[in-house]
Amino acid sequence: MKPNFTSHDAKFWLQQIQTLKLTKPVKIMNVCGGHERSISQAGLRSILPEAISLIPGPGCPVCVCPEEDIYEAIQLALNETITLVAFGDMLRVPVNLPKNEIRSLEQARSAGADIRPIASPMEAVEIAEQIDKPVVFFAAGFETTILPVISMLVQGVPDNLLVLMSGRLTWPAVAMLLDSGEPGFDTLIAPGHVSTVMGPEEWEFVPAKHHIPAAVAGFSPESLLAAFYSTLRQLQDNKCFLDNCYPEVVTHGGNATGKQHLAQVTDIVDANWRGVGIIPKSGFALKKTYANHDARVCLPSYADPERKRLGKMPAGCGCAKVVLGKIYPNECKLYGKCTPREPIGPCMVSDEGACRIWWSNGQR
Amino acid sequence: MCLGIPMQIKQIDGYNANCEAKGVERQVSLFMMQHEPLKMGDYVLVHVGYAIQKITSQEYHSTWEIYDEIL
Repeated sequence: MKPNFTSHDAKFWLQQIQTLKLTKPVKIMNVCGGHERSISQAGLRSILPEAISLIPGPGCPVCVCPEEDIYEAIQLALNETITLVAFGDMLRVPVNLPKNEIRSLEQARSAGADIRPIASPMEAVEIAEQIDKPVVFFAAGFETTILPVISMLVQGVPDNLLVLMSGRLTWPAVAMLLDSGEPGFDTLIAPGHVSTVMGPEEWEFVPAKHHIPAAVAGFSPESLLAAFYSTLRQLQDNKCFLDNCYPEVVTHGGNATGKQHLAQVTDIVDANWRGVGIIPKSGFALKKTYANHDARVCLPSYADPERKRLGKMPAGCGCAKVVLGKIYPNECKLYGKCTPREPIGPCMVSDEGACRIWWSNGQR
Repeated sequence: MCLGIPMQIKQIDGYNANCEAKGVERQVSLFMMQHEPLKMGDYVLVHVGYAIQKITSQEYHSTWEIYDEIL
């Protein structure tokens, strides 16, 4: 009989994993910064059998936010009479400019630009209601963050609120890894809250098309260990499917209202991921019917295709490989020189970046 | 950005709700929850100020047990 996910503790799932007969090393990839944080903070790597490696994959939206979009946001804030708002994580991410130039939104703010960190789209609306000039909401994030941004637009916002959309879908990055023929993992832990809003079905292509075991997990050690066990058991039994080890929150179809808003407001487009390149059908763009709230339509463009190292990670930075699960954070040659206090690459800036999570948990 | 905060609904005014967790109250949007009838006392998972899923009392308490350990 299939064990009940919600009624067993971490010790039970660990014992279940230890009973499995693993014949070769297994790499389990997660694609969620929240999962990586739970894994690191609970020390799950140290308690699993040696044959099991836990790989942090593309789970940090700040890390893959296109360098040119951050540059655009900085230039808009510096050159236009606007207020720019963004989730706090975005403010410290550096772009590839010489050190004597303004390289982050935080530096632009120090130079006098009106840039304000926000924690919710509702704050962007409040700010726009209070001031007369355009307010540009630089919206980077994965599905869980972008759906609320979209719902904000559907509900109605002041005329002066514009969105600089830089949202990304999670699953196309995993599809790209799998289609490459060298995914670098044997089983997948699907993200809990992305699945909450979009529905777990998005991840069915992983077992169905690629014969890779997959399970949606929550953020407790119990749920993560249950998901590890599920995918390992699938591997052992040579029987792949998408399991749901977070059934109390992740339900079929996802958030119906949010998905309806998404279809009403956005098109899904090919999109650039920093250090990775274009991933087909992986970005959100505002439909023409929302052009009056699209910063890319309403404001001058500062995109500069001639700019050196456009779209790249900083020189020497291993973030692109970290994001794709090709190396562990502490295998980057800048790890240690790049720290949360003085970050060089975006994975050390964001709370969801694997490098920052590893560093903050004492991994050296 | 992906951490979901479990909160309890204290008061509802249209699509806005006053929600509480661990003694802290916040204004939360219910605009994404139009498919799910909600009432005072219900529990929701909140992400960037928006309720994204209704949860049970058990899920609320067990999630906070974990957050109290790791945050």
